[in-house]
Amino acid sequence: MSILFFASLIVYFAAAMVQFSGVSMKKAGLTRAARLLFMVGFALHSGYSIWRGIVAGRVPLANQFEFASGFAWAIVVLGFGLYRKGKAEWTMTAAMPASFLVLSYAAFQPMAIKDLMPALRSTWFVLHIGSAAFSYAAFAISAGLGVGYLLMLRKGKDDSDSRLKQLDYLGYRMVCLGFLLLTVVIFSGAIWAEQAWSSWWSWDPKETWALITWIFYAIYLHQRMRRKWQGKRMAWLSIVAFILVIFTFAGVNLLLPGLHSYATQG
Amino acid sequence: MRRSLRFFRSMRFGMILLVLVMALSVVGSLIPQKEQAMTYVRAYGAEKATLLMALGWNDLFHTWYFLALEGLLCINLLLCSILRFPRTVHAGEQLMKTAEDSSTETPCDSAQLQRMKEFLISHGFRKRNAATGEVYTRHFLGFYGSFLTHLSILWVLLFGSLVLMTPQTEDLTVMPGESLVLSDGTRILCESFHIEDGQGKLDYASTLHAISADGKQEKIQEIRVNEPMRFGNYKVYQQTYGTAGRVRIVNHATETEDTLFLTESCFLSIDGQNGVYFEALYPGFVQDDDGNYTLVTNTSGSYPDPVYRIQTIAEGMSTSVLAFPEETLSLGEIDFTFLLPAEYPGLRIKHVSSVLYGALYFGFGLMIAALYLCFFMVPAAVSVREDGYSVVSPKEVQEIREALTIAGKEEEP
Ligand code: HEM
Repeated sequence: MSILFFASLIVYFAAAMVQFSGVSMKKAGLTRAARLLFMVGFALHSGYSIWRGIVAGRVPLANQFEFASGFAWAIVVLGFGLYRKGKAEWTMTAAMPASFLVLSYAAFQPMAIKDLMPALRSTWFVLHIGSAAFSYAAFAISAGLGVGYLLMLRKGKDDSDSRLKQLDYLGYRMVCLGFLLLTVVIFSGAIWAEQAWSSWWSWDPKETWALITWIFYAIYLHQRMRRKWQGKRMAWLSIVAFILVIFTFAGVNLLLPGLHSYATQG
Repeated sequence: MRRSLRFFRSMRFGMILLVLVMALSVVGSLIPQKEQAMTYVRAYGAEKATLLMALGWNDLFHTWYFLALEGLLCINLLLCSILRFPRTVHAGEQLMKTAEDSSTETPCDSAQLQRMKEFLISHGFRKRNAATGEVYTRHFLGFYGSFLTHLSILWVLLFGSLVLMTPQTEDLTVMPGESLVLSDGTRILCESFHIEDGQGKLDYASTLHAISADGKQEKIQEIRVNEPMRFGNYKVYQQTYGTAGRVRIVNHATETEDTLFLTESCFLSIDGQNGVYFEALYPGFVQDDDGNYTLVTNTSGSYPDPVYRIQTIAEGMSTSVLAFPEETLSLGEIDFTFLLPAEYPGLRIKHVSSVLYGALYFGFGLMIAALYLCFFMVPAAVSVREDGYSVVSPKEVQEIREALTIAGKEEEP
């Protein structure tokens, strides 16, 4: 069944390439084809996740591989959701490579299906980890839109251009969603930690980095209220913020083991 | 004085504090916290370790300056929230006034306006009559979003710190069949403990029977990780586990019998000179072709082939022996029968204040709701006149503008 996983990885890659070609050559047919491919990749990816969930007898979000796969899946869901609302081509241009990159990271993690370890058997599991996947996905799309903003600016677009304004605004909305969900992640984690280990906060590296990321995004939200920060600076901030997200997601597990180190187990 | 107050309540000062908290948190996450001094000396060298400890970076999150930053953040948030509150309360009226005073932004014909009005009503806007025409408003509750967000941050910081500063936990071990008596007389009997469930899955579950000091309340519950037992003001957690040896001692001279748990090395003797010295319990062994034993010291936690390493001491002579479960060693009138080891739980007993925890969790809920108000309940007013409409909001409302344009353009069926 892992064929489904690898097939989705390849299809996401193909979708991203077709989308890049479509956007750079301004060919609507190509971007339409890219969306279709992306949908096919999503179907394969969902099929794989459902199969894995059935075999494991639980929601497949319990280790680094499964979480990364869920994270990529959430990027696709949010990408399509946002595209449906605003029809902004850049949402897809951001979501396609982002989901491919995150899924590629998953491909390098141990894929074996294992029993849920006792610390993870909790009713908070799905809320905590599911909202983390969607929160990170929203931040990923926001960073992708930030990259798009900077690229369009380099191509000579004026920052009063309506498409640029739309990118800036969509990036901000994604941060709003991600921030709300990250708050859910932190609080559900705190309640869960109190249930499992008796203390709701222990300054464990994963917790600390989630807080660092949260504070950074809080600063982003405040800075955005200043008019002169909107646009280019916010695009840079969303990219830097996403680097913090990546560190919280993968770097902490590799470099700063703590209570959450079970997440690195295969 | 006024200037410094203005700075203290300013968003700029708030952001500076947030950056400092963030920077210190990065440091605190990179340096292992609360380790022994030697660990830092080994990792960073004596000089750097001394500096690090002088700065308190070995327990950074409890240093006076980290706590002071938190305190300043609370003051900043409090001042900012209090001083902005009147503006928040009047923000709705203010927006209505702005809507009424606004000039027509998008001219429309009457058919388009009719479609738009229907659209607004179907999208949760309320019609209010104004001197200049009609004003449709939505999500005025959203004005309270950022006020409630900051209030809930303050709330969580306050109650979170109180909860963290008043931890009353005690880690205790209890053997199956034995009980613990807590300071107020509450008794907690461990009826049983198992590491694996019936299907061989790791489970770490203890069945506890708690009885209040006056004996009037009792509760039996199986606890495991994620499923602590709440009893009175206590919460009992399944924290750790261990495996202890067991020995049954029969004294034929006095016709008495006793079973003891062996958790650490000890000398079992009646006269203080002759007896059995228990060294350790091993989880397994390997026997080679010549019959020699090699003891296994794995750390997986299970004891598939337990074996006791002991010394018998009799008349000044000590002999190393391996004893297997159900094996009996007789020394004079005393029989030592080594039994199958017992698994036992390590429990964490926490004294909980329902008020503090309730308040903290209320703060969590409030913050989520407040953020939702902030981001997804954006207040907006649409002033509709005979010649067209205008949209006003304290925030960007691109979606509403776009939706209204589309609604206005739609052909009538
Ligand atoms: C961890 C800390 C903080 C968080 C999570 C936070 C969160 C927020 C959020 C979500 C908003 C609304 C932004 C938007 O709608 O785009 C906001 C607005 C605001 N925040 Fe904060 N904030 C924090 C700290 C502070 C501090 C320390 C100050 C200092 C005075 C401050 C002052 C403000 C102001 C003045 C607004 C605008 C209020 C309004 O629109 O009525 N915030 N904050």
